[in-house]
Amino acid sequence: MVSKNITIKNEQGMHMRPASLLAQMAASFESSVKIMFNGNAYDCKSVMFLMTACIKCGSEIELVCDGPDEEKALAEISAFIESGMGD
Amino acid sequence: MYKGIAASRGIGIGSICRLVEHDLSFEAKMVSDTAAEKDRFRKAIDSFVEETNAMADEIRKNIGPKEAEILLGHAVMISDPAMSGEMFKMIEAGQCAETALTAVCDMFIGMFSQMEDEMMRQRASDISDVKVSVLKKLLGVEDIDISKVAPGTVLVCKDLTPSMTSQIVKENVAGIITEVGGKTSHSAILARALEIPAVLSVPGIVDAVKDKDTAIIDGTEGDVYINPDGDILSKYIIKREEFIKKQAELKTFFGKETLTADGDKLEIYCNIGTPKDAKKAMECDGEGVGLFRSEFLFMDNTHLPTEDEQFEAYKEAVRTMEGKTVIIRTLDIGGDKDIPYMDFEKEENPFLGFRAVRYCIANPDMYKTQLRAIVRASAFGGAKIMVPLVTTVDEVRTVKKLVSEIKEELRAEGIAFDEGIEVGCMMETAASAAIADLLAKEADFFSIGTNDLTGYTMAVDRGNAKVAYLYSAFQPAVLRSIRQIIAAGKAAGIPVGMCGEAAADPLMIPLLMSFGLDEYSVNPVLVLTARCIISKWSKAEADAIADKVMAMDTEAEIVAALKAAAKE
Repeated sequence: MVSKNITIKNEQGMHMRPASLLAQMAASFESSVKIMFNGNAYDCKSVMFLMTACIKCGSEIELVCDGPDEEKALAEISAFIESGMGD
Repeated sequence: MYKGIAASRGIGIGSICRLVEHDLSFEAKMVSDTAAEKDRFRKAIDSFVEETNAMADEIRKNIGPKEAEILLGHAVMISDPAMSGEMFKMIEAGQCAETALTAVCDMFIGMFSQMEDEMMRQRASDISDVKVSVLKKLLGVEDIDISKVAPGTVLVCKDLTPSMTSQIVKENVAGIITEVGGKTSHSAILARALEIPAVLSVPGIVDAVKDKDTAIIDGTEGDVYINPDGDILSKYIIKREEFIKKQAELKTFFGKETLTADGDKLEIYCNIGTPKDAKKAMECDGEGVGLFRSEFLFMDNTHLPTEDEQFEAYKEAVRTMEGKTVIIRTLDIGGDKDIPYMDFEKEENPFLGFRAVRYCIANPDMYKTQLRAIVRASAFGGAKIMVPLVTTVDEVRTVKKLVSEIKEELRAEGIAFDEGIEVGCMMETAASAAIADLLAKEADFFSIGTNDLTGYTMAVDRGNAKVAYLYSAFQPAVLRSIRQIIAAGKAAGIPVGMCGEAAADPLMIPLLMSFGLDEYSVNPVLVLTARCIISKWSKAEADAIADKVMAMDTEAEIVAALKAAAKE
């Protein structure tokens, strides 16, 4: 299992568009991908769970990947989140 | 006979097609063949996703990327493991597909509707849309395909939604009747743009009629007849012919100059809302654009439009108009509009609040982005800048200062623009009318916005039925303001136009001619009507009726006198 702390940068937080792009990306990995936020774990492969997390601009999250391609998943997904998720 | 709001002119006679909301109740039951049930559910989802994506494509082309994005989001939501994934699990456990769909959707609707973030709360209505659409698939309920209705169809519905209107084929729809909506509602605007007769706000009409009933719609008067007798039918067939003949007469004014009966030249411009509408203005023979509302760039968007995005839109409009004047009104928006990415606070009195030029001046970075885009577009044609809601001379000076800073920057950057680009005032407040002489010294032109001028002068909210009777541009107070603004413009030697609905009003036109209005900016479909009316009046005749009504005390007398003098 690998993890990394990330601060959300995009202005409107985790709304529909970034959430669907992020879920799409997470789903392309075999490993499980989770976001730890406010003491809860959210499945990153689900747009709906990502949106219900109420993650805002400036929120601190922990990205946790677990599985055969966890290193690659963590690197690529964290880079995507840090880039502002296409916003 | 039913009475409603006359929303789009003309006579429509045809066979009714009701667009009704379906009964989506179902009986929850346990299923034993879960594999078959899952298959049924899978097919419903696949068909929903396919249709949604196709509709999103249509909407992106015809309406805008923001609306399309919402629909694409619907397809993403249903495909989510937390949505269909959970639903499949419930079906596996023996629930029927309808129950599984409803239970999971309702859970998320509950979660989202309790969120603090307004944007997130809106997701609840998205999930609700998804639920209803997939439920229709499961229950085998088909929405009527509006794009496939037979020629001569009269559409009857509660309200016309944007997704319905995007499917309308103009040639096949003889008329539209709805239960809600006013003259400025989405349905009304669309019906006028498509030149389909429409009567809106007819209470209970959906339940009062059956499919295939014959309907007559008089979109000029706001009358609707269902299954009329022969006499009425033949009367309206004649009326329809006359209307069509009148339209044909109007066509003879196409491609001609706008001349009064004395041969004095005036100008008919168009009001437009998107660059695409500029094409319509050209097709309708507009001599320019007197009002290009820039709000669409901000409202149909997910982010503040960049300079380049705005520049492309203005350039497109300016190019389409082939060198003719295009007056671009800068952002006219305030706390009554909810734009998620802009920080408008809710205000008690948004129409008297932080809006339009006031908001823009307080946000100079955002405003300069828009002004720079307009100034750059001036290199490609006749772009002019119009400042909305002016109430002080300072506001005009501030905008002019920003514009000269921008010119300086563009010169330094070597970017082309029209050095002589004009900055004008939208005259729509009681204050602007009172200080029209002062504003005329600063502004390069005036354009009177009669809708707001009437509201602000009469201190009346046109949407409030109890006081709406006061809302009339023929009130002596409003007419005097209009006369004063035009006189101040003339005295200072600047052109004066009008971009409110009154500019196309056959009763108002002779008064405006007498006051000396130069430019009449109207809905593109009214260009020829306005040109035809102007051609029938001489200055002396217009002066005579204007002198008469400007001495009258009440709106009722004035309207009656103008009606008596009107020329068909």
